[in-house]
Amino acid sequence: MTTLIIIDQPPYGNWAGREGLDMAFSLAAFDQPVALLFTGAGVNWLRQGQQAELIAQKNVDRNLSAATVFGVDQLLADSTSLTRFGLAPVDLLAGVETVRFEPALLSSYSHVVCP
Amino acid sequence: MTTLHILNKSPDHPRFALCLAAVTGEDQLLLTENAVLALADTTLTLPARVAALAADMDARGLTGNGLSRYGVGFDHMVRLTTQASRIISW
Repeated sequence: MTTLIIIDQPPYGNWAGREGLDMAFSLAAFDQPVALLFTGAGVNWLRQGQQAELIAQKNVDRNLSAATVFGVDQLLADSTSLTRFGLAPVDLLAGVETVRFEPALLSSYSHVVCP
Repeated sequence: MTTLHILNKSPDHPRFALCLAAVTGEDQLLLTENAVLALADTTLTLPARVAALAADMDARGLTGNGLSRYGVGFDHMVRLTTQASRIISW
């Protein structure tokens, strides 16, 4: 009964992506199995070296790299989007698994949410 | 497991293509709000099982050249939600 939350909005420009992350951590806090899938411009959340304080925002790399500690089971990133944005696995935060966005991937989740 | 995909994004919104990429097998696609414009978008190929809210179509004048066969009422929309084993709102 895992919930998959899809993050396809880029970081910081609007609140949709952050709301998705907050939803995931809230679900995890209540011991609900949850996974995060970053796709489209959303893969940019995973880029190392973000300095969000320069635009008066909070970095997410700490909570994302500690996602498993927070109870988020999987951090997934769509391979096509990673290539599109020039992100090699070495550029990503730790613990991110590369996958292909396709129906088979979604079928293993009972709930799919796209904030 | 059949999924009902409810899509309200305009065809050029990135999530429109994301939704189409997720539709498979017996899944049903329901176009609402701006997504009904996809019926008039000649560059798109929509999945076999596609329906659109008639009210949204009529609001946008999408009733000509046979498009009305895709139109469904709210009662039919509710029936679709009961038939699917999972619903994803894109």
